[in-house]
Amino acid sequence: MTRNFNNQTLAVSQTVYGWLLRAYPPAHRAEYGPAMAQLFRDQCRDAWSEAQGWGMVKLWLRVLPDLVNTSIAERLSTLNQRKSMSDKMSALFRPLTSPLVVFFTVFTIVFLSVLMVSVAVTFILPESYASTCRIKVEQEAILRADTSAYDPYFLQTTFEIIQSQLVLNPVIDKLNLNVQWGKKYFNGETLKSAESLEILKGRMSLADVRGTKLIAITVYSDDKKEAAQIANAIAEAYRDYRVKAAAALATVMINRLQQESLNNEQRIEQVRTEANSLRQQLKIGSEISDNPSPQEQTYWDKKQYLDGLLETHKTLYAKIEAEKLDAQFPKTSPMQITDLAEPGRFPVKPNKPLNIFIGAVAGGFLGLVAGATSALISVKLGNRGRKAVASA
Amino acid sequence: MAKSKTDPENMLPLTPAVFHVLLALAGGERHGYAIMQEVAASTDGQIKMGPGTLYGTVKRLLEAQLIEESDERPDPHLDDDRRRYYRLTGVGEEVVRAEARRYAEIVELARGKKLIRKLA
Repeated sequence: MTRNFNNQTLAVSQTVYGWLLRAYPPAHRAEYGPAMAQLFRDQCRDAWSEAQGWGMVKLWLRVLPDLVNTSIAERLSTLNQRKSMSDKMSALFRPLTSPLVVFFTVFTIVFLSVLMVSVAVTFILPESYASTCRIKVEQEAILRADTSAYDPYFLQTTFEIIQSQLVLNPVIDKLNLNVQWGKKYFNGETLKSAESLEILKGRMSLADVRGTKLIAITVYSDDKKEAAQIANAIAEAYRDYRVKAAAALATVMINRLQQESLNNEQRIEQVRTEANSLRQQLKIGSEISDNPSPQEQTYWDKKQYLDGLLETHKTLYAKIEAEKLDAQFPKTSPMQITDLAEPGRFPVKPNKPLNIFIGAVAGGFLGLVAGATSALISVKLGNRGRKAVASA
Repeated sequence: MAKSKTDPENMLPLTPAVFHVLLALAGGERHGYAIMQEVAASTDGQIKMGPGTLYGTVKRLLEAQLIEESDERPDPHLDDDRRRYYRLTGVGEEVVRAEARRYAEIVELARGKKLIRKLA
């Protein structure tokens, strides 16, 4: 498949170059055309083996100015070889009988040249596929029904976290991208994680789906399967990060509640000791009398306070158990993968119709300018030539 | 004394493209692609001649009889027999020598003015 594509790319370039050789004078073309075409073939082969599509683009960027400059030089040289002034005049005006013909000829050549180059470049450029994975994210505070801790920058923070080393380094390790990309793009040299990270960041884009809690993670690659694998791996790595973060938060909460419970127990013990001491000292029964003395009232107040502390202790215990249970079996996940990425069916780059359209527009514009300029020059030269012939 | 028309000095200075093509052929006869590769290699890739420049230069050098087309092939089995080989003529060799001397004199001049140092 790749071999066919290579052959096709080189064949298109060579065909275009063979057509562009018409810019040279017929005699020069007959003498050196085949040799030039052969040299261009050799250069195409070198450029492709050096850097595939990009090598071909660089070759064309070198060859096109060379072709324009040397074809004009050869045309002028041929013109200067004409022996007499009348030959020169006839050479100038014989094929191009009117400014309108000059205009349309130049316009057509420029328009077709630019269009063909844009078509060739479009088909030579490497193709890129996109795969998108969608995830639903929730704020930790919302999950805990703590609306006072709502974070207005939650989405932006999430974007930054997804693009951070915390999430992307596990993706690089999981898919062995240091080795895979080293083989693919750097002649087998294993990359550093920081280098792979930069490449990965350059190939991914994040976008929020308007009016929802969804985030679209899109990854671009010249390999459609790789694009989907990376997009899914990023989503999974972010989910792991959120689960770990939620577990860490739950641990902090449990520790805090346990510390509070311990303090409460110590307070209960202290108040219970004081109450028992008062009760024994004042010989108070289990029921409160109708008119308790101030000392007895102190006891009953302590008793009431102790009951409150015991109630708080029960509540704290229930909270700790609930937190433990929630940490093990969360009621709601902080992040869900709603749509897994699938390999794209068609490449998203280069945008062939757009590129060809731009080529056609640019070719039309340049053709108009070149055609109008040429027609103007031919009118001026014609007038000057006719004056010269008349005066001779 | 006036220089004769065939005096190599009359053809100087050469354009960089002409000088590099002649230098490439000073190493023996070569076809167009080999000339292009030789020029690219000897200039560390700074000069990469396109087909138009190369064959335009070849055409002028043939017209000036500084080079000629060779019918010999190094080994027909190793090469495409459609390739056209070129070699220096006697005049061509004199011209490239004269141009090289001219460059050497310029280099000496620059050294005299301490613009460049002698190579170790």
